[in-house]
Amino acid sequence: MAEPILAGVAESELGETPDRNWLDNAAIATVRALEDAGCSLGDVDGVAVAGGNDYMPALVLSEYLDLDEPSFLEGTEIGGSSFEHFCGHVRDAMTRGEADVVVVAYGSTGKTGPGRDQSLEETHPIDGFVRPTGLFRPPGAYAMAARRHMHEYGTTEEQLAEIAVATREWASMNPKAAQREPITVEDVLESRQIAEPFNLLDCCLVSDGGGAVVLVSEEKARELDVPEIAVAGVASTSTHRQDISEMPDMTTTGAAVTGPKAFDQAGITHDDVDVAEIYDSFTYTALVTLEDLGFCEKGDGGEFVSGGTTAPGGELPMNTQGGGLSYCHPGHFGVFVLIEAARQLRGDYEGDRQVDDAEVAIAHGTGGVLSSSSTVVLRREA
Amino acid sequence: MSAPVEDRREEWDGPVPVPTGATVPFWAGALEGDLRYQECDCGHCQLYPRAVCTACGAEDPPFEDSEGVGTIYTYTVCHVPGEPGFGDRTPYVVGAIDLAEGPRLLALLDAEPADLEIGAAVGVTFWRVSEEAAIPVFAPE
Ligand SMILES: [Zn+2]
Repeated sequence: MAEPILAGVAESELGETPDRNWLDNAAIATVRALEDAGCSLGDVDGVAVAGGNDYMPALVLSEYLDLDEPSFLEGTEIGGSSFEHFCGHVRDAMTRGEADVVVVAYGSTGKTGPGRDQSLEETHPIDGFVRPTGLFRPPGAYAMAARRHMHEYGTTEEQLAEIAVATREWASMNPKAAQREPITVEDVLESRQIAEPFNLLDCCLVSDGGGAVVLVSEEKARELDVPEIAVAGVASTSTHRQDISEMPDMTTTGAAVTGPKAFDQAGITHDDVDVAEIYDSFTYTALVTLEDLGFCEKGDGGEFVSGGTTAPGGELPMNTQGGGLSYCHPGHFGVFVLIEAARQLRGDYEGDRQVDDAEVAIAHGTGGVLSSSSTVVLRREA
Repeated sequence: MSAPVEDRREEWDGPVPVPTGATVPFWAGALEGDLRYQECDCGHCQLYPRAVCTACGAEDPPFEDSEGVGTIYTYTVCHVPGEPGFGDRTPYVVGAIDLAEGPRLLALLDAEPADLEIGAAVGVTFWRVSEEAAIPVFAPE
């Protein structure tokens, strides 16, 4: 089976982009990622895009970039984990020889763009059950799951806060991060209440922006002068979609399924993982995902993240760009975990920002309200 | 069972359910104070209402009346309104309720946050929010 090479990565401007729409941001990220890979638009024969405000996003972006009859088109929407999910489909296409240069792109105007439609749609029967409760989604949905985890395992708000604190430490070294002032556990606990047990600093940012990665075949990679970062394992699943109450067990996510599969494909164990880029829409998202991926026993996540385990210099460097909690979060954060994982494996940074000798990275996406999970293992080839 | 149905149409500014397809019997029951769920001939119980049984695939599994009691699986206290019409209501409580018959349901919890705990027994009442529908709201027993 082919192992696609992650040859280029880039963001568009992050934060506020009032003069851009989602498509502009996706396109800008795409051309920058292609440049990073040493490719041009004319090389592209595949496009995978999710999260745009359009029901035919792959066609829209292909047209916008004036791609010449791309052979690979992907627009599967599984929320924030879509981009990790795409990596598997790209691998399949490259194994069949269908594509050599695929762009995986995302763009959003989550911060300055129009709000969501407030009318109660009739497209899904569950909307009539969920929306009249007034639940603030997604934070309230994740908060309910976090509360259940606290009930079953004794996880504390202080432990959840440790994740925000460690993530901010990483953000303090990233000039692109929106929030860079160091914070303490007390700062998190004293920040404004959003949906108990979450305070403001348990919740991700809301940003505009886009991101893209370029995946190329092994043959194409040999033509390019780029470090070879291989997609060594990919797996995806889902447990539910619209309503957190449809999640069978709110303390266990689909990562418990996708983690072992992706690790097995890549032939790695947890000890091999040098850096973890784990979707952190909320502090709890990262905590439960670490457990489900097997970095600690189920229920021990709170203990595991305490004491700076995921901070710079810690045992498991996590969300080294500052994560959705402090760097950016334009809605579907999954493309950004791939970008950062690749940069760490390439050794793009200096000083404490760079994880020493990083050879294996995990990029994990989560979508919906803890609904979808996709795990990617990336490996730097010697 | 038949639970109280309070008429809240005058004061309700929130989203209102639109009965459609398989959900029509549920919302019709709610107007009468009955909390209905689907119980298939195969024994599987489910909510939200669907056109098929998720266990055996039978079409249009029949509805039964729930006892209207259950326990709190989890809950959150919302300090930020998640929908139009909820701005004056904060903080308010939303719970995931495990009905005695099995299905889990998201619903408003009409209670003081300090009085709540996971596993506590709750019972249903209904708030009528439109001509077509009353929403289930739970309170500690
Ligand atoms: Zn059945």
